[in-house]
Amino acid sequence: MALSKDIYSQFEDVVGEENICDDPVIMPSYHSTEFAAVILPKNTREVQSIVRLCNKHKLRFRPVCTGWSGMFQPGTLYLDLRRMNRIIEINEKNMYAVVEPYVISAQLQAELMKRGMHFNVKGAGTNCSAMLRGHGHLDQVASGDDRNHLAIEWVTPEGEIVRSGSLGSSNEWFSGDGPGPSIRSILTSAVPPGVTPGVFTKAAVKAYHWPGPLKFPVVGESPNYSLSEIPPNMMARYYSFPSVEKMWQAEIRLGENEICFELMGFNVAMVAANITTCNEQEEKVFKQMSKEVQGPGFFVIIAGNSAADYQYKKKVLEQIVRENDGKSLKSVEDPRTEGILLCQCIRISASIRETFRPGGAFSSIPVMGQRDLTIRWAVGAGKAKEPLIEKGLIVDDGGAFFGWGVEQGHLGKTEIFCKFDPQNPEAKAAVEAWNKEQSARAFKEKYFAMLMAPPSEIGPGLSNYHLWWDKIHKAIDPNGVSPSAGALV
Amino acid sequence: MGLEQYKGDMDMCCRCSACKFIPLQKVAGFSYANVCPSISRFNFHSYSGGGRVNIGAAMLRDGFKYSDRLLDIVYNCQMCGACGVSCNYAMDMEVLEPIQEFRIKCVEDGKTNPALDKAIATLRKSGSMVPATGKRGEWASGLKLKNAAKEKVDVLYHVGCLTSYDKGMQKLAKAAAKILQKADINFGIAGDSETCCGGRAYQMGYRKDFLNQAKKNAALIKKAGIKTVVTTCADGYQAFKVLYDKYGLKGKLEVFHISEYIDKLVKDGRLKLGKKVDISVTYHDPCRLGRLGEPWIHWAGKKIPGDRFVFDPPKIYRRGTYGVYEPPRRVLKSIPGVKLTEMTRIREYSWCCGAGGGVTESNPEFAKWTAADRVEEAKSTGAEAIVTACPWCVRTLSTAAGSSMKVYDIVELVERAIQ
Repeated sequence: MALSKDIYSQFEDVVGEENICDDPVIMPSYHSTEFAAVILPKNTREVQSIVRLCNKHKLRFRPVCTGWSGMFQPGTLYLDLRRMNRIIEINEKNMYAVVEPYVISAQLQAELMKRGMHFNVKGAGTNCSAMLRGHGHLDQVASGDDRNHLAIEWVTPEGEIVRSGSLGSSNEWFSGDGPGPSIRSILTSAVPPGVTPGVFTKAAVKAYHWPGPLKFPVVGESPNYSLSEIPPNMMARYYSFPSVEKMWQAEIRLGENEICFELMGFNVAMVAANITTCNEQEEKVFKQMSKEVQGPGFFVIIAGNSAADYQYKKKVLEQIVRENDGKSLKSVEDPRTEGILLCQCIRISASIRETFRPGGAFSSIPVMGQRDLTIRWAVGAGKAKEPLIEKGLIVDDGGAFFGWGVEQGHLGKTEIFCKFDPQNPEAKAAVEAWNKEQSARAFKEKYFAMLMAPPSEIGPGLSNYHLWWDKIHKAIDPNGVSPSAGALV
Repeated sequence: MGLEQYKGDMDMCCRCSACKFIPLQKVAGFSYANVCPSISRFNFHSYSGGGRVNIGAAMLRDGFKYSDRLLDIVYNCQMCGACGVSCNYAMDMEVLEPIQEFRIKCVEDGKTNPALDKAIATLRKSGSMVPATGKRGEWASGLKLKNAAKEKVDVLYHVGCLTSYDKGMQKLAKAAAKILQKADINFGIAGDSETCCGGRAYQMGYRKDFLNQAKKNAALIKKAGIKTVVTTCADGYQAFKVLYDKYGLKGKLEVFHISEYIDKLVKDGRLKLGKKVDISVTYHDPCRLGRLGEPWIHWAGKKIPGDRFVFDPPKIYRRGTYGVYEPPRRVLKSIPGVKLTEMTRIREYSWCCGAGGGVTESNPEFAKWTAADRVEEAKSTGAEAIVTACPWCVRTLSTAAGSSMKVYDIVELVERAIQ
């Protein structure tokens, strides 16, 4: 799969010999694929030159930021965007930040908080790119998916530099839709392929008002970090309800009243994962918390702009919870635990402890849609986990699923996953089967899931969107050098 | 067992990249978010903690294929352990241990670095990690210190190679001796009988040479009836306290770093830091006093079959939580006139000075690059000087700082405070 000497040297001329490597020894550190080479561009011009060379030599490429996992075809040129790591601008007046792909969310969130702003860190975690699209803990007040991307600089699969929205007509990044070319519909996609061919080299990310402190007062040594105090006018609680219906009614009313900074439909397995520092402790705390809750529930953060605003929000929250027979989980009322969760959810997005720590892998089904319907689907998917839990093939999380409304609304994200040991073939096979069955059920029952199935299977149910997408893909990538599927985390 | 014992740990790596950054809660902004010098300098993921364990896992599975690039990856690492701390905030898996075992395997397979071979040749010949010019105990001439190898003492001050032989560093040994004398401690040095702790050989991957040194030191301590060792070198501290324990050679020996010992003497009222030292400083945590200075935890067990990566008995990971962080800070704060301002990357997530893992010898440019990053961070605090607690850190940071910033060892300020 190696590049010829001549082609290799052409790429080397673009980035310098220090920034390209085709030694097979480095490949396992990336992913289990024989890449043609790994290349580290420094800026948009270098990306453009690389992409043009890929077209010239009909070589597939794939850009990646911090990485997680991914599926790659052997022989792909791997664009590791690590050297593109600058915050270009933080525009306080118009409330956005312009970043390159390898600025991680932890960096941007810290910089924004210092300026009284925040942005929606994605569920993948603040160890991932701040440019990442998707959803996260803060969807209630900071929206999700494509709405947080404003103007974007995009190197197309053929190597053209396209600047979308306001950037297309000026040097301003404030809008993704104009004045200038709005190409939002092809720059992102909520259904497979879920990624745009080419490379995003810069993006403006929308920022929101942050009512909390300029930085969290984190104390202690890793992994026992906590807050020395709960910041003024902030509160975190977990409420459980006697039924899914009651929980949903409370969620919808909280959304209507627009009082939650975060509303995350966790179950206690995820709370336990976030507040504990090892697997054994997590198991113990989960069992203990499971006895304390009366049924399904959610986690809430209240953040007031003033003491009066905080008191108002708190009062409304308590009333809605009371009217739906909700019960606060005492363990979370403990200021230490409360502080850990505040920081975890706003500064970390929590995902590593929740997903990878127990067994090393997880398999997820994310669903975007009307929350009451998707919750109903997720309850069934949770039930379907029970036999796997009984056999010890997946981690016992009580059949957990999670989700939240976006922009305080009825539309939202619902997700469910199984945590397992990928070295255990039986577990792996069982989880794959569960995922397939539940994805198929979601699709069959018209829940509009982001499914694992290929677009050709999903498309017919969704206005044959895949045929249009194929045409677009062929038009912008005539040499077929850029992937048409997969996430770029 | 070697690398094989960490197969499960290496398979746990989810490639999240947390190992590249300081713990995410502690990221204070755009600057100083990186924690691993190697990935920061060389950029390919292979140079990160996660990249290294993924390569280790692949080679265990598919066989070892050495190349120049692989050895470049292996030896361009300070073995500072920062990757492990950041990983272990969230994950239950060993990180530095498999990286260490990988390096040991390289050495055992004869895939060494010539500069490190040279350093080890010096060690084998002279019992020192630095060229031995003159006699090891020469720095103490005229100080009338007891010879712990011959006289009965309560405390052995293990001086270390760099402090003993480097003319510029000998002042640290003299300062430490003066402090112990001032507190009226019945201490001695081993003088010409002192030999290298072996810690740096271990970091370089030469386990046999480390064990050889460790056994020599254990024998000397046993013979002299020493119960307490004090070191001024963080490498020596980690070797005596952690590595000797790991290999069953520590016994009941009490090991103190000089900063811990001064802290104790001040608390006990045996040492007064009364003289004013007007200086604003920032403190650099040496890796082997800080995160890697936490006690070794003896554990043997088996993975419990099933969904989780858990063991019977439960495995307790060394996550950097119990390193030596407060004692040096307490000492600095107790010196009148010293104003301490902290950098962004401190304590368990401190940025390495660059000197560890043999990088000083194998790639001095990389060591200097790493130190320069730290000096910039130190300058950003507005402090006049960096204070640290290890001669290797002093030397590396001083080289990078040049005349732009003073670098002191903590004993130098304490010496001024007791005069």
